[in-house]
Amino acid sequence: MLTLTPPWQDVPLAGSPLPEIPLPSNCPGCGVGLDREELSAHVYVCDCGHHFQLRADSWIALLADGDTWNERWADVRPHDLLDWKMPKPYHLTIEQARDEGLNEAVRTGTALLAGRPVWLGVFDFRFVGGTLSIVAGERLARGLEAAASERLPYILVAASGGARMQEGVLALMQMAKANGAVGRLHAAGLPYFCVLTDPTYGGTAASLALLGDVNIAEPEAKIGFTGPRVIKQATYADLPPDFQTADFQLKHGQVDMVVPRVELRPLLVHLVDMYT
Amino acid sequence: MRQRQPGTLTVWQVVELARHPERPYALDYIKRMAPDFVEFHGDRLGADDAALVGGVGTWNGRTTMFLGQQKGRNFPERVRRNFGMMHPEGYRKAVRLAHQAAKFGFPIVCLVDTPGAYPGAGAEERGIAAAIAAAIMEWFRVPVPVVTAIIGEGGSGGALGLAVADRVIMLENSIYSVAMPEAAASIVWRDNSRKVEVAEQLQITSRDLLAMGVVEEVVEEPKGGAHLDYDGAAKALEKALLRHVEPLLRTPPEELLQHRYDRYRYIDSLIRADADFGPKVGNSPA
Repeated sequence: MLTLTPPWQDVPLAGSPLPEIPLPSNCPGCGVGLDREELSAHVYVCDCGHHFQLRADSWIALLADGDTWNERWADVRPHDLLDWKMPKPYHLTIEQARDEGLNEAVRTGTALLAGRPVWLGVFDFRFVGGTLSIVAGERLARGLEAAASERLPYILVAASGGARMQEGVLALMQMAKANGAVGRLHAAGLPYFCVLTDPTYGGTAASLALLGDVNIAEPEAKIGFTGPRVIKQATYADLPPDFQTADFQLKHGQVDMVVPRVELRPLLVHLVDMYT
Repeated sequence: MRQRQPGTLTVWQVVELARHPERPYALDYIKRMAPDFVEFHGDRLGADDAALVGGVGTWNGRTTMFLGQQKGRNFPERVRRNFGMMHPEGYRKAVRLAHQAAKFGFPIVCLVDTPGAYPGAGAEERGIAAAIAAAIMEWFRVPVPVVTAIIGEGGSGGALGLAVADRVIMLENSIYSVAMPEAAASIVWRDNSRKVEVAEQLQITSRDLLAMGVVEEVVEEPKGGAHLDYDGAAKALEKALLRHVEPLLRTPPEELLQHRYDRYRYIDSLIRADADFGPKVGNSPA
């Protein structure tokens, strides 16, 4: 595992206390009963190493210094452009997610990361599986363009099932829209760090999520293009138990490192300092 | 079944035409457009992907780089071509040849015909997601004209990896979708037998895509479909490709790349949307 040297060791593991997330009574990793407060202080990583899936607001609290999060384009709203009816009308899917207080699959904005200004783009898996949609693509592209023109590093936190079916081919086009903007960020010579969390799949993995200067995976996160269910259906293959895990992707050269969440923020600070 | 006009095909009939086993494939078009076509192989990193053919030929009086997803005509060839489903090596070969075209100033013609990238363990192990991601990003840096035609199936990210271009056109009976209907049905219904309903819902026919502003032109096929008249289909496709590539050949590279970027950056701006819908909203602060 990664060992850090001072002064990054002193960087707190979260910018502010993480909001509460729904938890099971026992850890799925080790079966031990969970202490809500202790777990929250430990950025929702159990002592056994199990990482609980975070939401966009948790990631923002984890990365941004308290009160420095300046969210942008939160008013950009999804629209039922295909008049999608089956099996559930798309507008109902959207309304339900909004009733739960969610604002699309990607939120973006600027923040201070231990005093260093950065752009953040954070996926929220709870919003229609964190799927790449027109709104998500639009927020990502605007944020990436803004980072390039403001000359700030861009940190992406990915958690996504892929492109959103209910927006049809225009959801697919967001992969090109986002990658064009990532290309411009790279061409401008600015650092792009991708944090891959569980799960990162499909059109999101095959577009901006794996194009980081540094790709950082969370332990045990599943990362891939096609999900194991579809691969088994299509090829009848037996898949190894570690298939598409963070360690599997490390072994196969797709990510630079697998970093526990408790070490992530100090590491990002260290990287931002070295790359800016 | 949704019928756009009396007497026209249902969406599923179009899907079946797009997948017709006698439908002309990439090489059928390339060899008619450029009879002197020379095929190249390999990604220079360890493998060659037979699902993607690439090479140069003389077309329109100049050397042109052709890239096409290729299905097989008989069973052994279908297996060898992997049913047009590319592995990571195919995308890396495409990027290699695209950069070669840029080196020599050759325009690039891409022919898309794939149900999607290969959904197999080996493709995952060798980085299919990153290979597609890199290809999509690289296309924005290739400073020569790129025109793409969807000639059969345009499936998902596997198709997009070869479809970031200055102009994208579609043959009348081809389809282009965020996922093939079977896969989409399996995602939203958990039941891929709902493929027909999902196909109608997804809006994947050439007319749908033209209306959405995702493609520039629909190329009419010979009566009954391209599989009934290869020469006629190739002539129609070639004529349309020529019309689109001509103005690009006179466009300075920087302008070409800016337009290509803008094409995808604002590709969703044609949607008749609510006033508060995303792309219509300006750069308003949160």
